[in-house]
Amino acid sequence: MIDMTVNIGGRRLKNPVLVSSGTFGFGKEYSNFYDFNLLGAITVKGITLKPRKGNKPPRIMETSAGILNSVGLENPGLYSFIENELPFLKKYSVPIIANISGNTIEEYSLMAKELNEHVDFIELNVSCPNVKEGGITFGTKPESVYEVTREVRKVTNIPLIVKLSPNVTDIGEMALAAENAGADCISLINTLMGMAIDIYNRKPFFNNVVAGLSGPAVKPIALRMVWQVAQKVNIPIIGMGGISNWQDAIEFMMAGADAISIGTANFYNPLAPKEVLEGIKEYMIENGINDLREIKINGGVK
Amino acid sequence: MRREFCKIISNFRVANNVYKMVIESKSISKEALPGQFLHIKPSQNYDPLLRRPISICDLDQDKGGITLLYRVCGKGTRLFAEIKPGDNLDIIGPLGKGFPIFQNKKSAIIGGGIGIAPLLILSKWLKEADIYLGYKDETYMTDEFMNYSDDVCIYTESGSRGTKGYPIEALEKNINRYDIVYACGPKQMLRAIKRLCEKNLVECYLSMEERMGCGIGACLVCACESSNNDEYKKVCIDGPVFNSKEVNLDD
Repeated sequence: MIDMTVNIGGRRLKNPVLVSSGTFGFGKEYSNFYDFNLLGAITVKGITLKPRKGNKPPRIMETSAGILNSVGLENPGLYSFIENELPFLKKYSVPIIANISGNTIEEYSLMAKELNEHVDFIELNVSCPNVKEGGITFGTKPESVYEVTREVRKVTNIPLIVKLSPNVTDIGEMALAAENAGADCISLINTLMGMAIDIYNRKPFFNNVVAGLSGPAVKPIALRMVWQVAQKVNIPIIGMGGISNWQDAIEFMMAGADAISIGTANFYNPLAPKEVLEGIKEYMIENGINDLREIKINGGVK
Repeated sequence: MRREFCKIISNFRVANNVYKMVIESKSISKEALPGQFLHIKPSQNYDPLLRRPISICDLDQDKGGITLLYRVCGKGTRLFAEIKPGDNLDIIGPLGKGFPIFQNKKSAIIGGGIGIAPLLILSKWLKEADIYLGYKDETYMTDEFMNYSDDVCIYTESGSRGTKGYPIEALEKNINRYDIVYACGPKQMLRAIKRLCEKNLVECYLSMEERMGCGIGACLVCACESSNNDEYKKVCIDGPVFNSKEVNLDD
């Protein structure tokens, strides 16, 4: 019997395969493809206190082995999420991670307080590159990562995940700030800031000029950053960024991730999470690994 | 809606850069409705990464045949054009909301360029619609439309075939004959048709296009302006077919 469980902030996940915020809607869309109870946890579309219309199209551009997106946190707002979206997910036993973004620390705190009773984890999004206010402005300085994490920590007793941006000089410092402020877990990476130009009109392709890059193209960077963060902190790490198959997932665990999350792959292969989970299981059996933790660094990378 | 690896029956060029592909799937063809689309992975590699949304052009529900008509305009469709009969394609479908079908209503169908694709199966199901087709220069699939309607008007910008000009010019003259207009084509054309129908109080359904990600409503990238300023519609699940009053096509 192999043990694939993961412990995050005192909460046990039955396996390390998660799905990433913004790539899985509020679940419904993927329920036709497989049973959600197979997953370790579901991270729902990022929410804000008030509804957000999102950015003016175009919102997507395919790049070599990746995509640039500029959705801009379109969502129905906190209260509509609780009332209209959560009941569907609650029909499953899979743990739910709510991803929240605020304009101010007070907004983050209010949202965390309101969600405390309704979800299993809170993921602080301090790393969205597609909105002017909030999001990434909290995630690029260790002091503000520390401050927002500390304030939210005060109002919630469910495990707190801080999702970090790769658009920083030293991601280890950000991770350490989150850990020192009481975060239970670090998730990384959010999208990398990128750009595309319409050469015929001599204009940026996106109205916001910059957009978030994700997909297989970013995997080596994400892997390196997970490695860096794993050197710095002692709390669990959820690794993500371009994971497309089980081999990618194993690499992330060897770099120091306790769990992994599937993002962009959901868009082109809705069965990716299920396939990754099956692949990890087979790898463990074939290599005589009984406990997932053995894959992690020291057990994994020599 | 399901994900399936479907066998390619045929795939050939019907005009410059326009191809017709027939794939086989009993289950998808049975479920499919006019106006819906398939989301197709051009390559099992990571480049190009995303699926491509392609309208269903015709259905043979007894044999499980699905006809797709596509224009080669980028990396993904270029790969489609290279696919050989007997190969398999990774397909999700049928997706999206199709055209509402009303019998006993006098209908006009108007298409421009590759936008004619979803209108063929629609004309088959509607039986007695009047059809207006517009092309730049080279025409394609006109015989197929003639199989389903006695009234097919063909227009070309160049005047190489049919009447020189745009199909909307004829629709405008005849608009009072119709209870309902169905359209698919370039945005500029859809904008003019929307205006024409709304001015004349004719019900109008438009099939829209937008860059798409997941195709099932999760990624929120295929946003289009709606008549409600507080929200965007998503072409993949709210459409691709919209009542003209639901969408805002102004620039």
